[in-house]
Amino acid sequence: MVKVYLPELGENITKATVSYWYAEEGATVVEGSDLVELATDKAAFNVPAPCSGTLVEILAHEGESIEVGAVLGLIEEDTVSPEAEDEKEEV
Amino acid sequence: MIFRRSVYPVNRTLLTVDRFTMYTDCAFRVMNLGIIDYVEALGLQKSIVADIAAGRTPHTVITCQHLPVITLPPRAKNENILVSREELKRLGIRVFPTDRGGEVTYHGPGQLLFYSLFDLRQDEKDLHLYLRKLEQVAISALRDNFGLNAYRKEDLTGVWIGPYKVASIGIRVKNWVAYHGFSLNVEVEKKYFSTIRPCGMDIPMASINDFFSDAVSLETVRDMLISSFADVFQMRPKLTEHSERKFFIGRFDP
Repeated sequence: MVKVYLPELGENITKATVSYWYAEEGATVVEGSDLVELATDKAAFNVPAPCSGTLVEILAHEGESIEVGAVLGLIEEDTVSPEAEDEKEEV
Repeated sequence: MIFRRSVYPVNRTLLTVDRFTMYTDCAFRVMNLGIIDYVEALGLQKSIVADIAAGRTPHTVITCQHLPVITLPPRAKNENILVSREELKRLGIRVFPTDRGGEVTYHGPGQLLFYSLFDLRQDEKDLHLYLRKLEQVAISALRDNFGLNAYRKEDLTGVWIGPYKVASIGIRVKNWVAYHGFSLNVEVEKKYFSTIRPCGMDIPMASINDFFSDAVSLETVRDMLISSFADVFQMRPKLTEHSERKFFIGRFDP
């Protein structure tokens, strides 16, 4: 299981608020795509999916204030890459 | 409220286009777009942000004005729009969702939008420091060129003169490339300020021309801001070939 962390956002920033998730629990996510949107002060920012797979659990829900370094959600990583899946389908 | 009094020393040194051409190394490009629809500008920003993220284009500053529009970021409260849909229609104000941080904001004629499309991976990856730097761009421009006592308030992002807020800031950062920026009221009709609760609070808004007996032009303010941006971020500007659409100031008849 891959943990999605709230990254360091700069000096003196300890928290951010979850604005919304781009995916629901159980949805397939692709590495690098927008996963969750957060905000601190007047800055909105995205956290991309760290890997491709299934978003198994959302731990930080919309409107919640989260500490930097906290786990936002869990992704069950694909054991087969999307590229390999494509190749398989073509065969 | 003290308006139309020359109580502030004014030094309106105009930064001319010629000065830009003196720069040979382009660290950030400047696109002065005049009047552009909010949605069109947002699309343009996103397109440039993708290019910046891919390393295809440098930091970019876009300056423009919008026709009257109220923008609502995610989780903004509708109750911070203080007038009815009918009244908004009568005033010619449209409402759009947006992706920047902050609360409900008004944009319209007489207000200079200063969009900073900036790769934070090449600076410090610090969202609040970047916000403070954007504030400083406006503060330095207003203090150094116009003698206005502009300042920031702790925990209230924006730029203030006395009790009045003159610039609002809101950004979005996608994969550490920032866009949006700040809007500076140069000469905005006051009736538009009363349509919202800016930042969700009862904040008195003003335009910088409220503090002068002779109006400063939007182009002058724009050029001061670009110069100030160059100083704050230690970079050099270069105008692009798409620049210099016509600006106008204040007085919009819907």
